[in-house]
Amino acid sequence: MILKLVIILFFLMLFVGADRGLTSFFTLVRTVIAFTVNVYLIAWGLPAIPVTLIISAFLIISVIYGQNGRNAKIHGAAASAALVVVIIMITIGPILHIAGISGYNEIEQYEEISMYLSANVSVSMAAVAVSATVLGVLGAVMDTAVAVSTAVNEVYVNNPSLDRKTLVSSGMAVGKDILGTTVNTLLFAGFGESIMLANLFLKNENTFYEIINSKALFQEVSALFVAVMGCLLVIPLASILTPWFIEKTKKMEEKQNEICDTES
Amino acid sequence: MKMNTKRIVLIIIAIIAAAGIVFVYNDAFLYDTTIAKVTDVTNEFSHEEEGPNGEGESYYDQMLEVRILNGRHKGDRINLRNTYTSSGVNDERYYKGSRMFVTLNAAGDGGSILGKKRDVYVALFFAAFVLMLVTVSGKHGGIVLVSFIINLILLMSALKVYDTYGNLLKVTMTVMLFFGVLTLIFAGGFHKKTWVAVLSTFVTVFLCFGIYMVTMKTSERIPYEMMDYIVNPKDLSDLFLAGTLMGSLGAVMDVCISISAGISEVVVKTPNISLKAILSSIREMGYDIMGTMINVLFFTYLSGTIPILVLKIKNGYTLYHLIRFQLVFETICFLIGAIGIVLAIPVSGLLSAVFFGKTGKDRRVDISNTGRDEEVTK
Repeated sequence: MILKLVIILFFLMLFVGADRGLTSFFTLVRTVIAFTVNVYLIAWGLPAIPVTLIISAFLIISVIYGQNGRNAKIHGAAASAALVVVIIMITIGPILHIAGISGYNEIEQYEEISMYLSANVSVSMAAVAVSATVLGVLGAVMDTAVAVSTAVNEVYVNNPSLDRKTLVSSGMAVGKDILGTTVNTLLFAGFGESIMLANLFLKNENTFYEIINSKALFQEVSALFVAVMGCLLVIPLASILTPWFIEKTKKMEEKQNEICDTES
Repeated sequence: MKMNTKRIVLIIIAIIAAAGIVFVYNDAFLYDTTIAKVTDVTNEFSHEEEGPNGEGESYYDQMLEVRILNGRHKGDRINLRNTYTSSGVNDERYYKGSRMFVTLNAAGDGGSILGKKRDVYVALFFAAFVLMLVTVSGKHGGIVLVSFIINLILLMSALKVYDTYGNLLKVTMTVMLFFGVLTLIFAGGFHKKTWVAVLSTFVTVFLCFGIYMVTMKTSERIPYEMMDYIVNPKDLSDLFLAGTLMGSLGAVMDVCISISAGISEVVVKTPNISLKAILSSIREMGYDIMGTMINVLFFTYLSGTIPILVLKIKNGYTLYHLIRFQLVFETICFLIGAIGIVLAIPVSGLLSAVFFGKTGKDRRVDISNTGRDEEVTK
């Protein structure tokens, strides 16, 4: 079934997006491979957090540059996405660690799976959980970053005399518009994923206190909230960094022109 | 002036959020279960066990000195024991200041640990989420928040209805109808573009449903019994389908509102635009949306599986097994969502062209392409 769906997806992307659809499809293939490599490297005993940082850097380059080419606005998007990954790792990571997000939750503990899998794996599940959360954020953050940077660049191209402040505020304005729909995408994906868990809580007649303190709920909820927070964080960052990169490239070009002029 | 009101609202929200967190932090009196706070920890290496690949796993003993925060023994200090491991797959490590649920023995001088108290972290995340939402996007953020809460309530009540009356698919379809209409009105207001987006969302989700059914019926059975959180083995296929469609709904709505809003902009700015020009701008918008949106869904669905994948690989499972029995659910959800995103582009594009392009002169040129969709509208 997976294979059939992949084939359908491939032809739809080809049909709707032509050559750029094809580019998107191969970006997706690269993403899948990077994801698999990430999982295997951690499983082979390499430290989870550095591995995830390196893979994230690769993914940012692969997805953002792979789909949009190299230019000033895209530098802004890539830099802000990378910054958000680092910030989330530093701020949210310790909280998740102390709150105990990792390992089996109270429901999985009683499922068969935990009976026949050995728990002596000597891989820190806390670090794995943090890197899973960071990767979960990455997609939405990249999406938002590219949208904001593209919009800022669009405004700049139409009116290059605008000062940086105006550009930043127009980036923020576009960010607000995108935010609503991105939150919805994340929210409904979260609903779809947690429908089984919600049903279980209802059937077991768990009390509100049991649910709110359960690891199972925390695992689902933290992924969603952290993803939305990542998007919120990337909007101002991309709004500020993109004009900066645009100006920097402009100055560099001017310098190059000057050099060319003096040489000739 | 306007800036000032925003700042005041922000400060008020920040104060409420801070007060809420402090309250949840000290809410032990609300619970019937005994809650204890760790006041002192002594960790001691216990022994090492060999794992499936020959690595050593270290076991540690924790001597916890805790103070009881509620109930009859409030204020008492007792000692508890806990074990944790270097991987932490099946145990919990406690730190100084951690709060936990315990059951006391009859004498009240000892007991066993039930689990961590996590409500304060849920509250912390929720507060941070609300604050950032309002800081970054102001009033708009408030609207997003309201639609978020309404959708959450809808989902819970739908499951409740299913719990009492059964027939999951009917309940899901109804609640998705509500989700779609409400969320899109929140996102776009009462506007023609909203109705176009609603219509194209449902057409697309219905097509996704069709693709799901056809591929499922013609393929090997999905191993539903391998799903997480199983309650009733009879309704698994329906629950999975409901989750898959709901997951794709958000992404499809996102695409549909972007395209219909974009097309309505184009038509307003250039009222005499030809259908061909509309179609080419749909293509242009579609390119931009498709690639990154599909990536969003991939990371959202698949990243949650990393811990269990690592655990299974460590226990010697092959990639084939992982895809066939572990990743199959997330992958199908992701693929149906991705197909929804790609399908939503022509569907919403054509429907917007039909609805917004009514006054266009050159509409006859491409009538053959849109004829089918016009029937839908009649």
